[in-house]
Amino acid sequence: MAKFHPSVDLLTEYVAGILPLAQSACISAHLNYCPQCQQQSARLQDLGAVLFDSLTPVPVGDALLNTVLARLDEEPPLSYRRAQDPAVGRLPALLQRLMKGDFSELSWNKITSSLGISYLKTGDPGYEFALYHIKAGGKIPEHTHRGSEMTLVLQGGFSDAAGSYHEGDFLFREASDTHAPTALQSEDCICLAVLDAPLRFTGWKYRWMNPFLQLRAG
Amino acid sequence: MEKRNGSASDGWEGPTGRRTDEWSECLTQIAATGDRAAFTRFFRHFAPLIKSFALSGSSLSAAHADELVQEVMLKAWQKASAFNPEKAAASTWVYTIARNCRTDMFRRLQKFDTPLAADDFMPDQEPSEPFAMLQSRRSRDTIHALMGTLPPDQAQILAKVYMEGKSHAEAAAELDLPLGTVKSRVRLAIQKLQIQIDR
Repeated sequence: MAKFHPSVDLLTEYVAGILPLAQSACISAHLNYCPQCQQQSARLQDLGAVLFDSLTPVPVGDALLNTVLARLDEEPPLSYRRAQDPAVGRLPALLQRLMKGDFSELSWNKITSSLGISYLKTGDPGYEFALYHIKAGGKIPEHTHRGSEMTLVLQGGFSDAAGSYHEGDFLFREASDTHAPTALQSEDCICLAVLDAPLRFTGWKYRWMNPFLQLRAG
Repeated sequence: MEKRNGSASDGWEGPTGRRTDEWSECLTQIAATGDRAAFTRFFRHFAPLIKSFALSGSSLSAAHADELVQEVMLKAWQKASAFNPEKAAASTWVYTIARNCRTDMFRRLQKFDTPLAADDFMPDQEPSEPFAMLQSRRSRDTIHALMGTLPPDQAQILAKVYMEGKSHAEAAAELDLPLGTVKSRVRLAIQKLQIQIDR
């Protein structure tokens, strides 16, 4: 069961449908691991429905009604009839769609000996949406963020100075938090990370890489 | 007797949420028999709310608002058989469709090239507790009853976020408030409405 969750104001933005697409996908993936956040979202959705019900109606002419009535015999899109692609294994279906395969079929960019990154395309021009593969016991060099970072643990776990995180745990860091996550010793760790600005390594050993760490949004 | 364009308070008539049942029954009937007269009643009730939702915060033009009404109502007809009155009231169901269609329309207008539609963001499995519906009805009744007790500044933020589709940051800029103030008003409102869950 996940122990680290999105804050209630972040969930509110998610439920209201106003989070950027990439961040929204990350929260949606967390909900697949977390019945409590699903329940919290359901309550927040009830709130949306109450607000919707109490809107002041704006008159709609009969012309629009007739247009819709005339379209009722149209074939509904295929996607309406079947359920979403069923999730295979434990990964959320939405992620599986973006990955188009399993972890081994992705192309991984090797950043250090223990860190590989695979970029997924969401179409969100403002955010990078990537999977981080950290070898068991491996470390991501100490870094800071110029923007925000959402992280969701998909497999294994990692720890940093603030705690240790396991499958389904969700973290949101604002700009300028510095940390150096280390994968648990027992198994490789795979995380989803959503960034709006590139990482910046702070240690002397990796600082030279900073100019090469461009944001791969889209 | 059908009430056209009833005022906001007509939506709820007491703790049983009777009127919500009326629309859930109507939707169930549409699904079962393809009843166009029932759909017409359903349209006359919900279309003006969807249009109001589309025009909130003048986020969409009048033409796009009409397009949204058409899209949402057609989807409601086509998906009616997926409606489960055990899980949600009809108006929650319609609100969810309207929200998803509006999000997709925003992304289309911004020319996003994405393989994902808003429907794809729904969790793979919804909670299947037997009391989900009862809980939802209770929470809606509580929210409705407590809404009037919210300080206006908190109610205003909720309307901006949910109906106008403004992010906390956009709401803060518009109201000339620090972002932290907006976030704490959202949190306070959620506590007051008793929908905060221990996580």
